[in-house]
Amino acid sequence: MAARHAGRRISTVSSQHRTAERRQRSAPAAPRRGQRGKRETLSFGEKRRLAQLVACGSIFVLLVAVKLLLPGRMAQMNARLTGMLEQNIDVQGVFSAVGRAVSGEADVSVALQDMYQAVFEPQESPAVEASAPAGGEAVALRLPAAIEPLRAFRIGTGSSDGWLDLPTAETEETGQAAGTDPAAETAETAAQDGAEASTLAYVLYSDRNLPDNVCLEQALLGFDYCTPVMGTLTSDFGYREHPVQGEERFHYGLDIAAAAGTEISCFADGTVTAVGESSSYGKYITVSHGGGFSTLYAHCSRILAASGASVKEGDAIAEVGETGVATGPHLHFELHQGSQYLNPIYYVSLV
Amino acid sequence: MSRWCEGLHISGGFALLAAWFALVNGWQLLAVILSAALLHELGHLLVLYLLGGRVLGLRISIFGAELVTDAARLSYPGELAAVLAGPAVNLLCGLLLARGHAWVAAGAHLSLCLFNLLPVRPLDGGRALALAVSALAGPAAGEGAARWAGALTALTLGALSLWLMGRTGGSLWLLPAAAGLLAAGARELTGKKADFL
Repeated sequence: MAARHAGRRISTVSSQHRTAERRQRSAPAAPRRGQRGKRETLSFGEKRRLAQLVACGSIFVLLVAVKLLLPGRMAQMNARLTGMLEQNIDVQGVFSAVGRAVSGEADVSVALQDMYQAVFEPQESPAVEASAPAGGEAVALRLPAAIEPLRAFRIGTGSSDGWLDLPTAETEETGQAAGTDPAAETAETAAQDGAEASTLAYVLYSDRNLPDNVCLEQALLGFDYCTPVMGTLTSDFGYREHPVQGEERFHYGLDIAAAAGTEISCFADGTVTAVGESSSYGKYITVSHGGGFSTLYAHCSRILAASGASVKEGDAIAEVGETGVATGPHLHFELHQGSQYLNPIYYVSLV
Repeated sequence: MSRWCEGLHISGGFALLAAWFALVNGWQLLAVILSAALLHELGHLLVLYLLGGRVLGLRISIFGAELVTDAARLSYPGELAAVLAGPAVNLLCGLLLARGHAWVAAGAHLSLCLFNLLPVRPLDGGRALALAVSALAGPAAGEGAARWAGALTALTLGALSLWLMGRTGGSLWLLPAAAGLLAAGARELTGKKADFL
């Protein structure tokens, strides 16, 4: 109502203003009439500019009116627009798909699928989406609910490092800060609030709060395997604060920090199913092993094996790098069984 | 110096788009795309120079870069060669880079090549179509062929990308391409120039 009143007031003010203007315009007498007539015929450019001004002005007035009269609708529109702005194209993924299709590295249909993926659903990597069709969205939807109790707890205790060393941006991924301090602090705080920690660990790892496609149990692989890279474990499987984006997210693999250029050995015998490049994973390679198991190696500086090649356990298939979203040279290692993500920690031995 | 400044038009929209792109995708990717575009224009320039044409200016807008030349003095086959030189350079670079396993750069070159070969007039494909038909059947036929092919392709592709944007929740990155295509299609239909891009 108030808005409507205000609108009426504005309109009356403007009409008064207009009449005042008219009065002023009619005031000057005959002598300058000729001049005035000449000035009123606008050139084409002036007309266009005037039309632009009127169009912009009316859009502005319309939007203000909508905001005042229909705040709910406006908020909805705002949210939608923000969503559209935030949605991004994985341009690098598109180009990579085109390049691979032309060089004969990938089938045209696979490349087209990758391109569609990169343009319209760029959040998840194409390789992972292909092997885990039930992936991304469900996780994204369920995450906030799972995170809420944790966040409340962390604020409640007030300590920055908390009970579980959910790594911070600096100690994450760089591999340099794998020192003693966080561990010591964790031990102290863990002693203090051990009881809460166990309930929270339950909240964190109970099935209800796990993303749908994650399995925490140790599976029997049924084949020989080796550790891809000897290095420092800088990020575990599970929820963590994302080192670059800052939000709490599920981390679907292990991060093993090692010097750039270190050779990555293949986890087990198998066939290279995909070699690609995406803005988040950087240069990556996926290998399928027997029994529906497959592994992903991401952020590589160089890929040494070609798509379709058969590889043996321990073969050098790539080199460690920091391509894609990474804060230092490391290997992001994932283990999948069909569409499920497994915790690779059971199968690697690190120093 | 002053001659260059007179000929060079860079639209504000282009600067904004480039800045946005660099912010989101990183400057390396922007550099790859801009270098591909630069090589493309250098391809045009080289053939023009060899055939004795002159460059009057360069317009850079959201829709891409456009050389303003006096190529009309050239013969139809000569102008056709100059027009096709740009995509040819991209195709060559793309294939070479793909052989070197630099897939992203190769993809950038090849995408630029394919996009530019669309038969829509400000793009090389449309010009090449007009020139080729003109050489074979006379200028009127060339103009007509380019207009109809351009309008049809541009409107179809523009509508298609708008539809896809709507279907998938819409990434705004497709908007410049869709708007450019629709504007080009409308221009071919009405014969008027829409210069808001």
